[in-house]
Amino acid sequence: MKRVSLVCCLALGAAFPPPCFGQAEMHSRMAAVAHPESLPPLPNSLPNWLYGRKKNHIFYKRGPYNFDLYNIDRLARDMNAVAVGHAMAYEALVTGKADSLETQIFERIHWVLEHPPRLMPDEASISPTFGRTYGVLEEVFDWTHILHAQTMDVLASTDLSDSEKDQEIEALWRYYTESVPYAITPLPMSMVFLDGQPYSMAFRDKYPKVNGLFWGYHWLQGAVYDGLYVKSLRQQKMVYDVLGDRYHATELYRTDRPFMPMFAEVSPRFSLKFPHIANAFDNLHMLHDMVNDILASDWIPTAEKERQILRAIWLVSAEAHRGEEPGQSRGDDGMHDHRHMLGMPAMGMMKFATEEIMYMDKMGWMSMADCHHCSMPLPEGADAWKAPTVSAEGWTMRARCPLCARDMAAETRGRAIFHIPTEDAFKPLVVISDDQGNLTTDRPDAVFLEQEGGHETCQKWSSAFSSRAAFDAHVAARPEFKNARPVPFQEWADLRGKKPNTYVKPEGPEGNPYDKHDEDTDEDEVDE
Amino acid sequence: MNTTQSTWRFAIVVTVLLLAGTGIATAHEAKCPYCELEVVQDTPEQDNETAIEYGKKRIEYRCVFCALSDAEKSYTGDLTVLAPSEIKGKPVLIVRTGGAWSAPDSTVFVGKKVKHRHCQTGYRAFTTKAAFERHVSENKAILKDAKPITLDEMVKIAKADIGKKK
Repeated sequence: MKRVSLVCCLALGAAFPPPCFGQAEMHSRMAAVAHPESLPPLPNSLPNWLYGRKKNHIFYKRGPYNFDLYNIDRLARDMNAVAVGHAMAYEALVTGKADSLETQIFERIHWVLEHPPRLMPDEASISPTFGRTYGVLEEVFDWTHILHAQTMDVLASTDLSDSEKDQEIEALWRYYTESVPYAITPLPMSMVFLDGQPYSMAFRDKYPKVNGLFWGYHWLQGAVYDGLYVKSLRQQKMVYDVLGDRYHATELYRTDRPFMPMFAEVSPRFSLKFPHIANAFDNLHMLHDMVNDILASDWIPTAEKERQILRAIWLVSAEAHRGEEPGQSRGDDGMHDHRHMLGMPAMGMMKFATEEIMYMDKMGWMSMADCHHCSMPLPEGADAWKAPTVSAEGWTMRARCPLCARDMAAETRGRAIFHIPTEDAFKPLVVISDDQGNLTTDRPDAVFLEQEGGHETCQKWSSAFSSRAAFDAHVAARPEFKNARPVPFQEWADLRGKKPNTYVKPEGPEGNPYDKHDEDTDEDEVDE
Repeated sequence: MNTTQSTWRFAIVVTVLLLAGTGIATAHEAKCPYCELEVVQDTPEQDNETAIEYGKKRIEYRCVFCALSDAEKSYTGDLTVLAPSEIKGKPVLIVRTGGAWSAPDSTVFVGKKVKHRHCQTGYRAFTTKAAFERHVSENKAILKDAKPITLDEMVKIAKADIGKKK
């Protein structure tokens, strides 16, 4: 085990640094007895807007794409139901009905999720008490939810080209950050710090089913971006058939997640292109968790809850981090730790992680800079779009080549979605695997180059092309493939590559940090 | 990360692979989808990886108990469980056709209830009773006085585990 770890350290290009900054503090805080005196004070001289009591009704940036998410009606309705569920739970928490959260409230939310509303509800009408009590918080939530809704509308537009969509998403980001002070920071934040507060985990421990719903919403809100990004409407609908089924059958009801779903774990392509937006959404979701935990902590007096919620908003606000840069860290309390995972600027430091590897639900230790199938480096920078992705079992992973994506999916239970770039960044191949590994695509005329060799160069010998002509042009320019023949889709779909000769199993510094099995004592090691 | 760093990382990966030789795993190692522990890898002397072949998919499991439980829980239709036996390179093929399970006549199993961290020892298939007895005697601490069980019994205890907390 140690030897493999050392090999992995070297293979990843660095010896392990100490575990993520602030981890020891986090553990000691979690172990400490919860007590009002243990709560951190409000920082001095907070901006006036945090204390605002007036209602600022803010709405969408004008655009011809607004509400185009209804092009994928099932997805739009599911998003509407998410808004209802959040609001119902918050209202229960602040009106003395928390005791029924896991029973009657859960059932009501569940009914809404199964019968999603046709139009987006006004959350203020579902959670009026919550809105009156925590007005600024609601403004912060709403403002980022608007960014969320509009970016999805842009991606679902059939009028904008893919490059126009990229430009409009950046315009929406500017609108978001420049219009009102409620913007969430675009910087990667340390989840070790944000989830290491004296109240952290309270909601998750007390209300696991409703927390499961919240994290299920966050899964959907993240996963849908790669499901929409650089895809035709037809492809988007194909993908949502799979994602939507997974959401309703599994993701909403999971109570075994070790952590909230992170954007880059479920939409790595969008996260690489727009890391500032992915970070803002993760930080918003973490703010949701912090607020939930504060409200669920009975040991915190009501007035102190209001102060802690203000502090939580401040911690993730754009204003609190103005002038700071991704990758930098200052101070020793973790608040200004903006380091991120290598290869993924949209993934702040996670619990138990180093900058090289992190622990990912269902995948174990992994590097976001390397292919999980063959361990070789993933393309980056201007070439980042060339990496295929495979989505299965709730995760989406980047792969180094189409063969890696196909074979990774063949080793994973259930249906899968592949996004396979071709020679044209805007003409990807979308492939759906059924639960037995049978593949279908919307572009059956696609062809492949697959001249299998060592995975040191798999990104060269395994490629997809939108047409035979594109394949011919590619091969003609590369003498090493002069004897290659175009592999039709159905033939490619039936292939299976050899086990990658380059694979190195990543091993973390702390084994499996979330492994409940490790909590067993020696006495009960063997059951009779 | 810039291109120079990437090139260095690539060079280090290749160098380490060349230097480390046979000690490096050569297969993509997944976690067991059922118990979510690491799948114990095959060694030069003994096979450990259990797999389900389902259509074109091949999913690895930590032990035959995990595979049978998950077959009942997560898969519909025909499939084959490849359970490592005492003979290297010769797994026991346990087939489910039309809902009915079958395996070669002489197959026996050890099915001792253990924590999942020991499941690859506590649950195994053997081509003969003599091989079963050898395995039990080599793992007395865990298996104590384990008795051989049939495929039907193995499937029954695997089914009974579905829905229980791991």
